[in-house]
Amino acid sequence: MTMSGELLTGNLAAAWGARLAEVDYVPAFPITPQTEIVETLAGWCERGDLAARFVTMDSEHSMMTAAGAAAAAGARVFTATSSQGLLYAFEVLYTVAGWRVPLVLVNVSRALAAPITLESDHNDVLAARDSGFLQIHAETCQEVLDSILIAYRIAEDQRVCLPAIVNMDGFYLSFTREPVSRPEPDRVRAFLPPYRPSHLGFKASRPQALGVAVLNSVGYSHFRYQMHLAAMNALAVHQEAADDFARLFGRRYDLVDGYRLEDAEDVLVMSNAFATKGKAAVAAARARGRRVGLLRLRVIRPWPSAAITQALKGRRTVAVLDQNLAPGLGGILYQEVAATLGGEPDRPRALCSFVGGLGGRNIAEGEFEAIFARMAEAGERGRGVGPILLYTEEDRRQMDQWVTIAGNR
Amino acid sequence: MVRIRFHGRGGQGAKTAARLVATAAFLEGWMAQDSPLYGAERRGAPMTAFARLDRAPIRERGMIARPDLVVVADDSLLADPAAHVGDGVEADTVVFVNSEQAVTQLLERAPCPGRLLTGDLTGLVLAQLGKAGALSGPLGAVAARLVGLSETNLRTALVMELGELGLPVPVIEQNLSMAHACFELVQPVPLRQNGDRPGQPASLRTPTYEPPTSGTARISALANVTVRKTGGWRTFRPVLDPEKCIGCWMCYLHCPDGAVRMTGATHPLIDYDHCKGCLLCVEECPTLALISEREAGLVRRSS
Repeated sequence: MTMSGELLTGNLAAAWGARLAEVDYVPAFPITPQTEIVETLAGWCERGDLAARFVTMDSEHSMMTAAGAAAAAGARVFTATSSQGLLYAFEVLYTVAGWRVPLVLVNVSRALAAPITLESDHNDVLAARDSGFLQIHAETCQEVLDSILIAYRIAEDQRVCLPAIVNMDGFYLSFTREPVSRPEPDRVRAFLPPYRPSHLGFKASRPQALGVAVLNSVGYSHFRYQMHLAAMNALAVHQEAADDFARLFGRRYDLVDGYRLEDAEDVLVMSNAFATKGKAAVAAARARGRRVGLLRLRVIRPWPSAAITQALKGRRTVAVLDQNLAPGLGGILYQEVAATLGGEPDRPRALCSFVGGLGGRNIAEGEFEAIFARMAEAGERGRGVGPILLYTEEDRRQMDQWVTIAGNR
Repeated sequence: MVRIRFHGRGGQGAKTAARLVATAAFLEGWMAQDSPLYGAERRGAPMTAFARLDRAPIRERGMIARPDLVVVADDSLLADPAAHVGDGVEADTVVFVNSEQAVTQLLERAPCPGRLLTGDLTGLVLAQLGKAGALSGPLGAVAARLVGLSETNLRTALVMELGELGLPVPVIEQNLSMAHACFELVQPVPLRQNGDRPGQPASLRTPTYEPPTSGTARISALANVTVRKTGGWRTFRPVLDPEKCIGCWMCYLHCPDGAVRMTGATHPLIDYDHCKGCLLCVEECPTLALISEREAGLVRRSS
């Protein structure tokens, strides 16, 4: 295609990420809205466009087990899932992270049951935040493709050796086509050389056991804390990878993504695809005289405390718009941002928490404007608000109607 | 930015139509974005697809609340409240409806605030293919023409998108020919291009605790399948020729909605209140006793 790229869905962009990474092994199980990724890879493997072994599994639990085992054997492994599928694989996420094997799992975010829905929020991927997997959250289809390549670079680095999740929103990215520039395979090989781990692989003549029982607490503490140190190493390794990526492909990805931060007195913190809408709302609010900016959280594990503090210290108000809900607490990322800023002497005057976009609910421009207004009030008062759900009179009317139709009034 | 919203029924090709116009615009040097929205897929159910075209990078995602152009795959959608065709349509929004009827006739049936245009794309497909088929090519062509894109780029887009769907070359050629007819059928129209409106802060309200009856997702009402009539989803209906029917029950077995009953005699009885017009029965009938009839007009199945 031309320099300006081609129109690709997020799902196709993910499949291209795996193809350009020249993965060896793809264990797969379908789930909406992820299925298109493994369907595409299956077609490429069958036609010989991708020299990988593609295996359909009986469940996500088996899929993740196979993925981890193949990675332990020294293969470059790709797989993908979503929502309930990620939860079904949950036990194995912790297990393979403990094996310290690199692989890349794309999660297409979809809100969790019950009730059942198909659209996006982040309770699925954030449930996995303490598993030991690294997490990169993408805003655009381009970033999905690029982040898969970056994720392999970091995961396979000897200073890290941990599996990684690249997250994208269902529908808003997975089924949305937008311009994507596909990197040249030769340049990808320069960025991501073939995977030749010296410490992994099985030989019949030299048997090893991985993930063994450690029935004493000193050993367990040691190995678990090693995982933490490995994840923390990923902060610096990400920056090296991002530098190389920018040099080779001209696109720059940092741990966090700041938009109009330079003179912003109030900053809204978001993640994933809705950050695009947040940026548009910031631009519109700026045109009306509000000094606002946006900070998008891109790398969520490891948690980039220093980059977040650097971006948010000294602001009047910081608000986190969480597209997730921890019942009995509120927004998940708000807690982490608040904890990061808690020890900062120059912390913002007010911290606010908003929850929106649950189950893919749209966030209208007027709702961003309502958030900016509340942030300004909170900053003047010197006290934060929240958690506040983005919920309007129109939502209330619609719910009343549905509850009545369902026979529950 | 030009915001285009397609309304169709599952299986009519609105999703591919959105891809066609986005690809054609992208080939013409625009930035483009397209996406479908259909929830739990069901053939015949109302769905929407969106395309955004702009000279600058696009900072919007998801549904289009205030479209500049609306393209409607069949006129039955206008009267279906579940289709939400009129949402965000204002006096200067252009609304193209695939219909045999003229604008004045349509307006009598279903008031529409926008600038209404009509054309008989289904008739075009029938003439070209000899049977009912997906409308993606003509719907995409009409949208491309109304926006002012070139026929050359639309043709390239058709070859790319329909080729990717695995359609055989003769079908793609028929679509190219139909696209040409669509370019004759309508002319480019000046479209409003909605800038962002000055932001009115939304009025947020705090939800309060509700008892489990209304606070959990549950259904206590009786099944409403008899009340919710899906016959209005139909643009073609199966019609039985009793003389050819041998009572083999194939139509009964294949109907996905249980809308075919076998009577005490051997002949099937079609429940037109719930037949959504998928025409599987017509496809499966071994004696060609079932034919498909356009809701306004009669067309025999070609075979």
